[in-house]
Amino acid sequence: MAIVGSRRPSPYGEAVAEQLAADLARAGVVVVSGLALGCDAAAHRGALNGGGVTIAVMGTGVDIVYPAAHFRLAEEIVAAGGALVSQFPNGTSPRRRNFPARNVTLAALSDVVVVVEAVQGSGALITAEAALDLHKEVMAVPGSIFSPLSVGTHALIRDGAGLVQNARDVLAALGVGREVLDDPLSAPKRLGFGLPAQRDGILLHLSDVLAVSTAELARKLHLPVAEVLGRLTSLELDGAVRRHGAGYVRALRTGKD
Amino acid sequence: MLATVDSCVLAGLEARRVEVQADSANGETKFFLVGLAATSVKEARERVRSAIKNSGLDFPRKRLTVNLAPAEMRKEGSGLDLPIAIAIALAEVGKRAPARSAFLGELALDGAVRHVDGVLVAARCLKRLGFDRFFVPAADASEAALIEGLEVIPCEHLAGVFAHLLGQTQIAPQLFTDVAVEGAAGVVENDLAEVHGQEEARRAIEVAAAGGHHLLLSGPPGSGKTMLARCVPGILPPLELAEAFEVAQVRSLLGDLSPGRPLDWTRPFRAPHHGVSMAGLIGGGSGVAMPGEISRSNHGVLFLDELAEFQAPVLQALRQPLETGRVTITRSGGSVTYPARFTLVAATNPCPCGWLGDPVRACRCTQAVVDGYQRRLSGPLLDRIDLQVQVRRVPLAALAAEPRGEPSQAVRERVLAARARQQTRQGCLNAQLKPSRLRTLAAMEPGSKRTLERWSEQKGLTARGFHRAWRVARTAADLEGAELIADRHVLEALGYRLHDVAA
Repeated sequence: MAIVGSRRPSPYGEAVAEQLAADLARAGVVVVSGLALGCDAAAHRGALNGGGVTIAVMGTGVDIVYPAAHFRLAEEIVAAGGALVSQFPNGTSPRRRNFPARNVTLAALSDVVVVVEAVQGSGALITAEAALDLHKEVMAVPGSIFSPLSVGTHALIRDGAGLVQNARDVLAALGVGREVLDDPLSAPKRLGFGLPAQRDGILLHLSDVLAVSTAELARKLHLPVAEVLGRLTSLELDGAVRRHGAGYVRALRTGKD
Repeated sequence: MLATVDSCVLAGLEARRVEVQADSANGETKFFLVGLAATSVKEARERVRSAIKNSGLDFPRKRLTVNLAPAEMRKEGSGLDLPIAIAIALAEVGKRAPARSAFLGELALDGAVRHVDGVLVAARCLKRLGFDRFFVPAADASEAALIEGLEVIPCEHLAGVFAHLLGQTQIAPQLFTDVAVEGAAGVVENDLAEVHGQEEARRAIEVAAAGGHHLLLSGPPGSGKTMLARCVPGILPPLELAEAFEVAQVRSLLGDLSPGRPLDWTRPFRAPHHGVSMAGLIGGGSGVAMPGEISRSNHGVLFLDELAEFQAPVLQALRQPLETGRVTITRSGGSVTYPARFTLVAATNPCPCGWLGDPVRACRCTQAVVDGYQRRLSGPLLDRIDLQVQVRRVPLAALAAEPRGEPSQAVRERVLAARARQQTRQGCLNAQLKPSRLRTLAAMEPGSKRTLERWSEQKGLTARGFHRAWRVARTAADLEGAELIADRHVLEALGYRLHDVAA
């Protein structure tokens, strides 16, 4: 099963990729992805966290890790019994034109391709198209209608891609599990996680996807900036929020159950 | 005949006494200048010869030797012109120089006495060396007259000075410049009232001004970083007498004092371009190093726009002065120390194109480029910047709807109150508190100490970062008038540590 998505995901997309991969790995599914930044790396990491096997399909020779920052990750993938796979000869350095071909291979190696977050025209969508040409199943994770990163996935869903709310949806598509969509009126059980227990007024004003600045929050809550900043820091210490861009987002807990 | 006249040469903010001895003896008509004179002093020979002749005085037609003692000290600058000329003229008429008097000034060929740099510094040191009277260029007299208890004789022309020494005419001494502190500077050049929105950055500026902390503003182009930085001097109190004096001394060395108004109470604001050289920013030059921008902004604000564009070694060199408030530079002419206790206000784009994290416009930089850009703002430098805030771009259409800010005057009152509290408690600003004094003077509620330690563990804070957050928390408490540092103060302080990432 492949998990692909933006190289620059929102915190939400990154959390989804990691959590989904972890859950699927626990269910014994081999997670395939492209070793790129963002969603790809999150998927590999999630699979490793879930104690599973993961395959990285590379756009370079297997002896060249791109981006170089993922060298450790590549080592861990191999150490955990996974594989680095490439259709290119050793010594092939990263070239723009090689990556679309890699995306096709990635699709070919998988039974189901899940797109987590994708802007229009991104590589993840090329993979999805290739998967359709190869008669593979394509699924997509919904997001906020305000997020440009979910435009591509929403388009896929509109065109008939399967909706992914949790690992069970994917397992069902793989034919491994029962196809049960969670009750749409209650929060999905394994993804999304709902709000942390602490019912802090600030959390209700924060999003998973788009960063909200301290000043904005202060204005909405009619509180001094200094106090809002302090409360956000306190939430950050508790792991309930994290900094993103020029503001804060709700932190989605990943990697642990 | 032999005559001896006292003068001095400057080495940084110190002056060293120089004895100028002139001896005319029978022999071939010659003019020797000995005593390790640099080129600028050797040239004095020609100026002095012409100046003496053109002042209607006699230049000895003998074997003339001028010695600058102590001979092992290298002498630079044109300020020795006047004492050399006086020594020669006195030797010619067989008179002695007045006791405990020093001379400094450059000569024009017609005998006019011209401005030299650093007269204020010289005057301060000469007074300390036990001199009572100081002959200075008339243009620099008000500067020298800032030193109490030193009789300052303004010199217009060599002939006049000589007549004064012979008792033929009298030059009235310059009156001691009254240094009564002027009222707080009335006009604020850049008022915070003009800044719409940006509440977070406004608060950070207030904390920075109140505690003397360094500040980094990070945000896309056109988000108002420069405007915010320029507002900082307007919320600072005017300089204290001792501070104004230090500022004036650095300016004096650079020849940068306005003649009518040697003491200026407004805090310096310096904004060097990012192409600035090491010598320009830190100080340098040949011989004895001259003060750089960091010393020019002493007791004021040093604004570094586009921080990541500065040359890396220049940024690294900022680390010592940021920590100690002064800088020591060694050159061939010796080692000098200049004050450099400034508030650093730095601004940077989040990435080379500037749009990373902007909600509307997409960033076009690759991850590697962004990483490289942020790495240039090295960890050690960022570790020394207490307050780091993101500035958001306010879309033009929304600008009018953003609440108008509080005027600088109101913010300044809070800053002044917080600073007064610090002065009574510890005699310095929070940013300058040593770790040992933090423990006794900046007590925390037990819970808040725990918060600071938790953060420290989570984010792998250095000991320096730990103490810096502590100091900022103290300032937050001072702004509120709180005795003990509460949890909310620590949390706010930690909220400004943008670049702490989970270990």
